[in-house]
Amino acid sequence: MAALSIAYKDLQILFKNRGLILQLFLMPILFTAIMSGALGSLGGDGEKDTRIPVAVVNLDGGEASRQFINGLEAAGGVRVESYSQAEAQALFDDSQIMRIVTIPANFSTNLDSNHPSTIQILNHKDAQIQETEAVRLVVEGVAQDMTLESQILFSLQQMGEMNAAAPTVYQQAFSTENLQRQARAQFEAARSQKLVSINQRTPAQQAEEERLAEEQPRLEDVTVPGFAVLFVFMTAQTTALSIYNEKKVGSFRRLLAAPISKVTLLGGKMLPNVITGILQIVVLFAFGVWGMRALGLKPVSLGNDYLALVLTLLLLVLCSTAMGILIAAIARTEGQIGGLSTLLLWGLGFLGGCFMPLFLLERFLKQLPMVVPHYWAKRALESLLIRGVGLADIGLELAALSGFILLFLAFGLWKFDFD
Amino acid sequence: MTAILEVDNLVKKYGDFEAVGGVSFSVEQGEVFGLLGPNGAGKTQTISMLTGVIEPTAGTARIGGYDIRSQMDQVKKINGLVPQDLALYPTLSARANLNFFGRIYGLRGKELKERVEDVLRIVALTDRADQAVDKYSGGMKRRVNIAAGLIHHPKLFFLDEPTVGVDPQSRNHIFESVLRLNRERGMSIVYTSHYMEEVELLCNRVAIIDQGKIIAMDTIKNLTALLGGGVIYVGLARVDDEILAGLAGLPAVAEATTVPSPVAPPASEEQALEAADRPPVSTEALVKVVAKQNQQAIVNVINYLNEHNQNLTSLEILEPNLESVFLHLTGKKLRE
Repeated sequence: MAALSIAYKDLQILFKNRGLILQLFLMPILFTAIMSGALGSLGGDGEKDTRIPVAVVNLDGGEASRQFINGLEAAGGVRVESYSQAEAQALFDDSQIMRIVTIPANFSTNLDSNHPSTIQILNHKDAQIQETEAVRLVVEGVAQDMTLESQILFSLQQMGEMNAAAPTVYQQAFSTENLQRQARAQFEAARSQKLVSINQRTPAQQAEEERLAEEQPRLEDVTVPGFAVLFVFMTAQTTALSIYNEKKVGSFRRLLAAPISKVTLLGGKMLPNVITGILQIVVLFAFGVWGMRALGLKPVSLGNDYLALVLTLLLLVLCSTAMGILIAAIARTEGQIGGLSTLLLWGLGFLGGCFMPLFLLERFLKQLPMVVPHYWAKRALESLLIRGVGLADIGLELAALSGFILLFLAFGLWKFDFD
Repeated sequence: MTAILEVDNLVKKYGDFEAVGGVSFSVEQGEVFGLLGPNGAGKTQTISMLTGVIEPTAGTARIGGYDIRSQMDQVKKINGLVPQDLALYPTLSARANLNFFGRIYGLRGKELKERVEDVLRIVALTDRADQAVDKYSGGMKRRVNIAAGLIHHPKLFFLDEPTVGVDPQSRNHIFESVLRLNRERGMSIVYTSHYMEEVELLCNRVAIIDQGKIIAMDTIKNLTALLGGGVIYVGLARVDDEILAGLAGLPAVAEATTVPSPVAPPASEEQALEAADRPPVSTEALVKVVAKQNQQAIVNVINYLNEHNQNLTSLEILEPNLESVFLHLTGKKLRE
């Protein structure tokens, strides 16, 4: 009960400090909103044509190729810009266009005679991965439709010719049932034997980025987990300052003279940090789910395993609290607490990937971020919220976080000066 | 009477530095006991060990029959502590502070509410109890500080320099509160101070502590009796054994000794404060005359010096009080 009384008193003091409240609760929301907006799409494009420009080189010029180009336009999402092969290549080399779709010569003739033909897509190395993927999907869709249409028409044409030439006695072979069976067979053939196939060429670097993009989240997806980790660790400074102030005014001596154990006393000092951290998370995630949507930003997903999410957040809060005890044990003055907190919380936050996706961080810093708890908390949250994995898949992250909690507590309690 | 506090050779060391060097004393039930000494003498360290704030290096004490080394949990329930610092939460109101400290001592509900009102009455702050402490004057903060130590009705109340930085009105109020607690509620009190007047006013017995050791302990009457009728410091152009013997043999004089020069002859409390920033009086020789009766000794000393053609360069007369006792015992002032 004494620990609860200490915690209640500390929360009373905390909630009278408006500046601290803004720092703990409003700043994370502002950071999240601003960074999500900056990294993602804030909308507000108005009448601007947002379709992806696609340079099309038509080496065929026949009916089928015109039909293909119309199909691209009708599919939406892409804007066809026709060029000659030389023009397109020059603009591509000059990085003015990011991709070229080339319709080969004899494309129409081949399709008319039911012979396969291949559409070439050439992507620039600087092309955006998402746009490249979108264009590929549109081109493949139109090509598939044309394959199906062409093969069914060809099939029906063949059957018509056979029917006309056949004796009356065999004409029953062209009954409605047989025609439908034939059409279905052609439909299946169109799916398995593509008449129009796609060949996409991408520079090696871009291929690597595409692979990473499939594996890793987008920038705007990581702001809520990143800032949740960063700002929950910020409360460590509040714990350290609370203990320092208690010693400074002398109330710590008074509490030591009271009939409560040192464990209860420290527990009471740690509990407000836990409560504040949980409140921070609730506020930040509520904003991530509803506030981001209200602002027209992509809302955060809470993943599929709520138990794992709660456990991860609880370990995050405990790790921050333990770090607060560590700072209180090491720092002797208010200035030292401020300096140490800035170094530990902002520095480790940056190193731990609170400001950027981990895959980018790891590309530059390799395994270095693994030495800070922020990294493991962020990795667990990214895995849960973005990739939708479960508790079993984040065992390593939770074990690492638990290790940091024990390490901080052990060192902090060892160095803690009760006198 | 039985002792509520018995201190036995208590020691506190920090490395090679001995902050408290084996103090022993006892406090009777219902007594106001003073620990008088300059800053850094070891008063706070002694109290800190008795209240469980720090561990003793050696020695022990029994409070209410409980040993502070093995039964501190019981001891803490008996003790009340008013630290030298303003151990309060400045952004909370006096009532919120008192509620908190009451809950720490296990008080709840109606009992807690009644205790808070009770201690607010004792320190006369009921009217302003809901105001944040940082809006209070220094004296009012000191009174809340005392109230917080009283909330659980301790049997033994430690007040560590409770009047530091307090205006005279609040200081008087604190004195009245301490005396009332002792007389009306029978509370035993250990009061530390480096203000002689406070100890003389409040305490039945006093231990004078310096450099971690108790150098004298008795009632104030017996301690001042060490000086007889008082002390006279006489500055002379020159002094020899014959003059010293002559002074010592005068009627109403107990003894006469030389004091290493230059030592400023001490003044009264007010004069000492004023003189603190001035350089010491320059004398070629300083003689300390302990008087059996001050007035008569002064007349005899001046007559003797005139008769022997001795030039008087300075003359300071100390009334017998704790300040002069401390000076007599240590050769330095309480506030040096």
